[in-house]
Amino acid sequence: MRLLFLFISFLVGALVIYWTLPNQKSRTVFLGLASLIFILLADKLAGRIVAVLTVYTYFFSVLIENSKHKSFYHHISVAGIVVLLAFFKYIGFLDDYIHSVTGFFLNSQAHAFEKILMPLGLSYITFRYISYLTDIYWGINRKTDIYTLLFYGALFTTFLSGPIDRFERIERQIKTFRINFAPAFVYEGFERIAFGMFKKFVIADWTGYLVNSISGGSNTFAEKAIMLFGFSIQLYMDFAGYSDIAIGTSRLFGLRIMENFDSPYTKPNISQFWRSWHISLSDWIRDYIFFPLGKISGNKIWLLVFVPVISMGICGMWHGSEMKFAVWGMYHGAGLSVYQLWSLYKKKNKSMKAVTETGWFNAFAVLLTFAFVTFGWIFFR
Amino acid sequence: MEEKLISFIRTEYLDDDSLEITKDTKLISSGLIDSFSLVSLQTYIEREFGKRIPAPKITAESFDTVAQMIEIINQF
Repeated sequence: MRLLFLFISFLVGALVIYWTLPNQKSRTVFLGLASLIFILLADKLAGRIVAVLTVYTYFFSVLIENSKHKSFYHHISVAGIVVLLAFFKYIGFLDDYIHSVTGFFLNSQAHAFEKILMPLGLSYITFRYISYLTDIYWGINRKTDIYTLLFYGALFTTFLSGPIDRFERIERQIKTFRINFAPAFVYEGFERIAFGMFKKFVIADWTGYLVNSISGGSNTFAEKAIMLFGFSIQLYMDFAGYSDIAIGTSRLFGLRIMENFDSPYTKPNISQFWRSWHISLSDWIRDYIFFPLGKISGNKIWLLVFVPVISMGICGMWHGSEMKFAVWGMYHGAGLSVYQLWSLYKKKNKSMKAVTETGWFNAFAVLLTFAFVTFGWIFFR
Repeated sequence: MEEKLISFIRTEYLDDDSLEITKDTKLISSGLIDSFSLVSLQTYIEREFGKRIPAPKITAESFDTVAQMIEIINQF
């Protein structure tokens, strides 16, 4: 509740100042710094990390762009960010391990890292900065100044729950902005926020209430199926609602943030599902994990089985430190592999076309994909 | 470049020799090739034309036709 109050008051104050500033450059600098202050107020540790990480990323972006050893600087800069993310994600595990060792040898009950929790928004900003550094390395974009970098990485409307937009898209907007405040920003922004709040606070929260009221000690199979179905709807509406709010509040500042969902539960296969669920993350995994892994070998088994399973395993690990998230990711990776094998089989057996292109088969495929995804949410419960 | 790309796509991804492929044929949106194939296409372009196309530039939308592929290849 404190965070919500802080967010709303910050949003109002930032909007007023932002639109009174004379040009986009000063607005970008202001919103970057204001976002940093917001994060510091919300979570002091996260704020400090954001400040250090931004300086770190800026420093390496200069090196990557200007040095002859681009590859070296790119690899160590990305490794540093991954280590930082892994440290905060897995410190709980490390603590449990140290606790059990010290408990055994020293009879100590003290936890070494008890107070260190995952800082807010760290998963998002680290992935943004990795993509920024990699895109400079690949020649997609050039380095920017530190304020624009801070604006991109820490923008407070998208800091807590994404999307993980790309620097190239954001920079294109703030560079070409020559317009001043327009009433359309308000209509579009508030409309999107209202949709998001309805999804989150009405559909997701009420569904969540129903799911929790059913769950108990000894549920029948039917009750468990209903619970899982409800949880599937709850998760989607919750996350899509947050994304709508992030997109809507950003629109109030005149920004167009990328879409993160595109009716994922209506897709007829798992590949299309992942192109419409948490789009910014699945695009990120595709570009920075899947493709580089795919280039390691042209072996069909590697491409069809190992690359999807490893990529989605990493995607799962991004969601949380517990093993169940990695398993959930690999479950989806296995689903993608099976879908690829099925596509190859379909291609080789032309007679299948008459069946797979019918309406009823498509409906069946949508239901099967939904059931596969919904079953996978067990790992999230 | 156009002929080489069409020839590669035909031998690697298509099983139907009777299909007419031009530089404007929709390949991914029509389901002729899937987006997973883009990884091997990226490797082929690098090997054959010496152009390293970054993954964010190779999407189902931007690589849907051979004409689009050539346009992107020429940017790098």
